[in-house]
Amino acid sequence: MSSNQEDSSTSRQVREVDLTAAGRGVWLVKVPKYLSEKWKKASGKCEVGRLKITRSKLPGTKPEVTFSMNDVQMKQEVPGKPTITPKEHKFLLTGVGNQNLVVFSEQKKDAANSSSSSTAEDISEKIAIEGKVIQRAECRPVVDSSYVNLKKEQRVVMNKPRREIKQIALPVNVYKPKSDHKANIEYQKKMKEEGKRIRMDKDEVQNKLFSIFEKHQYYNIVDLVRLTNQPITYLKEILKEICIYNVKAPHKNMWELRPEYRHYKEAK
Amino acid sequence: MTSKPQAATGGAKPGTSAPSQTSTQEYVVRVPNGSGKKHSMIKFSTGTEVDFLKLTNTTVRLERENNFKEYKTAHNLETMPKFGAGSEYGREQKEEARRKKFGINIKKYNPDDQPWLMKVGKGKDAKRYKGVREGTITENASYYIFTQCADGAFEAFPIEEWYNFQPIIQYKYLNSDEAEEEFLKRDKTMNMFSIMLRKRIKNEDGSQDTEAEEKEMKKTKKRDKSLILTDMDDWGLSDDDDDEDDDDEGEDGEKKPKKEKKKNKGKKKGKKNAKMNDNDEAVEESDEGDFDDRELDYISDSGSESELDEKEKNDKYDDKGVDQEHGLKRLIDSDEESSEEDENKDEEDNDEADIENEGGDDDGEKKDKKKKKEKKEGNKDGAESDSSSSSSDSDDSDIDKNEENFSSVLFMQKKKGGSRSNSPFEKLETTKSESKSEGVKRKMESEDTNDTSKKLRTESPVITPSSSSSSLASSGEITEEAIRRYLTRKPMTAKELVQKFKTKKLELTKEQLTQRIGQLFKKINPEKKYVNGVLYLSVKKAD
Repeated sequence: MSSNQEDSSTSRQVREVDLTAAGRGVWLVKVPKYLSEKWKKASGKCEVGRLKITRSKLPGTKPEVTFSMNDVQMKQEVPGKPTITPKEHKFLLTGVGNQNLVVFSEQKKDAANSSSSSTAEDISEKIAIEGKVIQRAECRPVVDSSYVNLKKEQRVVMNKPRREIKQIALPVNVYKPKSDHKANIEYQKKMKEEGKRIRMDKDEVQNKLFSIFEKHQYYNIVDLVRLTNQPITYLKEILKEICIYNVKAPHKNMWELRPEYRHYKEAK
Repeated sequence: MTSKPQAATGGAKPGTSAPSQTSTQEYVVRVPNGSGKKHSMIKFSTGTEVDFLKLTNTTVRLERENNFKEYKTAHNLETMPKFGAGSEYGREQKEEARRKKFGINIKKYNPDDQPWLMKVGKGKDAKRYKGVREGTITENASYYIFTQCADGAFEAFPIEEWYNFQPIIQYKYLNSDEAEEEFLKRDKTMNMFSIMLRKRIKNEDGSQDTEAEEKEMKKTKKRDKSLILTDMDDWGLSDDDDDEDDDDEGEDGEKKPKKEKKKNKGKKKGKKNAKMNDNDEAVEESDEGDFDDRELDYISDSGSESELDEKEKNDKYDDKGVDQEHGLKRLIDSDEESSEEDENKDEEDNDEADIENEGGDDDGEKKDKKKKKEKKEGNKDGAESDSSSSSSDSDDSDIDKNEENFSSVLFMQKKKGGSRSNSPFEKLETTKSESKSEGVKRKMESEDTNDTSKKLRTESPVITPSSSSSSLASSGEITEEAIRRYLTRKPMTAKELVQKFKTKKLELTKEQLTQRIGQLFKKINPEKKYVNGVLYLSVKKAD
């Protein structure tokens, strides 16, 4: 893949959709949340349950579809949710009607690349049509004691107020007094390590500055001090020779090279 | 579980425990996590026929809409170069720190949250769809798709997003305002196909059209304005002035044949004529209240004057003032209305006087009455004549008509405003024609002015000259009434009277002025008194 995805506004690749699986018929199943949460926990290519399709030989009757969970899945724990869930589910089959539902998938690229710049290009690499919905179904639990218990628990959780009032006897001390703060210690340590900024040779500093100014046109004095590691007064002396100090609005208080030293392509 | 061995084989096996009536099959359901695929649902809106099976040979492209620019502009993010010329070191971080300081939290632009754009086909024939994410559908339940693998087992993939795809409309269509306008014309429009065509044409020569429309607007506005505008300061200018001018114009431009035409023509014509007049005048822009129609209504009684005035740019405002005044007056007390009527008569009288040098008000009044009767009859005919006239009038106002047909709501309203609003213009015409030739004039006038006079009559059956004089006070011309008014107030010398009128900014030479006043004196026949050897003129109120 081309790596110049920095500029999302200009480079845009149009993706062609893989239509090979367009003819495939798929079922669209509505699944209760507690079930899907457990399924998501399932690892790898593991099986979550079994689907039983019972077709009656009498014409005009719909096939009966039931789903029963695995024991492994049953024991699957979802944090914050009740673990005991109904085992048996029934599929309520409905037609698609005149809805035109198509499933497509995006194959994600390896995440390492996309972390740097999140643009449309590197997130969705391959788009494919996965099939057309030919059957809709609703996965409904068979009502038994476990389902009733589940509902009961859900209800209890739902009715629990999110914030509660607690009475306390003494004021809680949120912080402890400190002799020295962490940030201060770090800073001092850093200063000690670096020591004092020492004046370098003027030519050296100038060269350094030139190379710095190659990357950007405008710099703040503080940044320059940090980048060159020169004492501020000395740096200013040099800057006055080769730079202009902007006093006015667009780049206020920033240094830029004098025109004779520049070699930008004049982007302005 | 007993079925575990089965699962190990991974196949789907026909159920063994089937009763005779049913056959049961058992399948393994797997949820392959970590495949890295993200499944989403495309939901086409009903009516859009997209079948990917049939599209296998065509190219289908699916991409995220790029709204980065919009995002940037919406959040006022600068588009400064990140490096090189013009770039600032550490700009972005600084900006962000600054925003954080002020508590501004900008949502990061996430290209994954942008709507999908689907393009089916290539080039110009491509159909485009836009898929917008549908939220909340997976809030309380999850959706999975079940697909059967080669080994017979079912694989379930979670559907993470739903997108509603809708076709992007590329052709031009009427926006809501335009549609509304067309809907109003629904009964008049015969050819619905021409609507879009017209729109296109409009867009193409939009500049022209708008110009024309503007002109028209100006015209209408102007007319209204001329009628509406009041300048109270300039009360008391005489109407006669106008009449004279009118005469001149009539002689110059319009001649008898036209007059005859006018006879037949109804309100419409009058209106158009008025417009033409406006055209002649310098174009004036004005803001406009919405109550043009009403305004016109007021004016209609004294319309003739106003119209005349329109010709004279200088006196325009004064006349308008008069009109306004009349309108007001009528509102204030009904008695005064009679005065207006009188005015009309007076004007006519004046004309007569000018030409025929006949003395005596009685005479004129009688004539007027006669005329009115005639007019009434004429009025009845008026409606019919309208239609005929409109067709015959093609010479002066084809353009106008067209524009009317098309155009602005304002104008339409005006039309609807009906006979009332139109009447002043009619009158105009009549007065004009009057000036030209006496013999014909009479009848014509009677017919044309019909409307207004009739109206007046209904409003004020009793005519009281005294009241009329007061109303005239407002007028800016030298009329009999004006003079009367001055003279009833107090005895005056002729010189003083001339002085009075002189101050009213009339553009007449002194000779003309005195001549005019002299004529009027003959008519009015004021009482003469010598005081200290100076002739004082006066008129008794009971007149």
